[in-house]
Amino acid sequence: MNTHHLPLLSAKAVPGTQPGAARRKPAGKVPAWALKLGTLFTTLSIFAGSFGYATTHLYATNAPLQPATIAAADSTSVASTGTPSTSGSTSTSSTATTTLTSSVRTTTQTAVTTTRHS
Amino acid sequence: MDLFFWELARASGLATYAALCIAVLTGLAPRTQVLGFLAQNRAIRALHDWTPWIIIPAAITHVVALLLDATAQLSLLDVVVPFQTSYGQLAIGLGTISLDLLVIVLVTTWMRRSMSNGAWQLFHRLSYVGFVAMFLHAVLSGTDLASPAISVMTWATALAIAYYSLERAGKGLGMVKARA
Repeated sequence: MNTHHLPLLSAKAVPGTQPGAARRKPAGKVPAWALKLGTLFTTLSIFAGSFGYATTHLYATNAPLQPATIAAADSTSVASTGTPSTSGSTSTSSTATTTLTSSVRTTTQTAVTTTRHS
Repeated sequence: MDLFFWELARASGLATYAALCIAVLTGLAPRTQVLGFLAQNRAIRALHDWTPWIIIPAAITHVVALLLDATAQLSLLDVVVPFQTSYGQLAIGLGTISLDLLVIVLVTTWMRRSMSNGAWQLFHRLSYVGFVAMFLHAVLSGTDLASPAISVMTWATALAIAYYSLERAGKGLGMVKARA
């Protein structure tokens, strides 16, 4: 092996390098201003894209969080379409749920057991 | 008009998350060489120092839009004090915590020359806690994370940051052991 003929590289011989730097991957050369510009462009693109997505997907029914007003409106609508009760009177509870009752009432009249003959 | 604020809040929230991801990654980069393929450490560091100029406007837009949005029903107190909202206390409270920590990290960075290096590092490491709080805030309350594409990007960046944070912590511990 002719390794002793190879020139020795030192930190002074190659400006900008440090001892042990030869084992590292060469660093990129993008300047700071380009990185800043790229970051600004990326963030603005994400903002614009998200704004467009939010505009086209205004109501996300599977969103993890629902404000209190929407939750209250949902509970009211569910309660008003609930199963009707079979109790004898119509009542409205304090929690704004309406109980639907049957309108059939008992009578003292004689029961009609025949149909009309032509 | 109310819908505009709602859309603005959603878009600025994601933009803030993206800017914070860049800030954390560029903070981790000098030790982990995660961005070594792109630029030298000096340029990465310059970018890291510059990221508040993106994070601050994005975060302010997010907060102000939510304050002006009638449906969100947030007050000024909710922006500062966590877990005060009438709904989604944990999800929104985590966002408040991340905002508070962001303010602490930024203010202590600007006051760096007037404090010891150890104290500044202690405050600066709160940014990891702030990022975790913001990520959980995004997952638990982010309306747009219902989209698979946005969700995948959000989780991918968070996992990448978690990986390089662990690598950074491992190298830090290695240096401490080497000194000992």
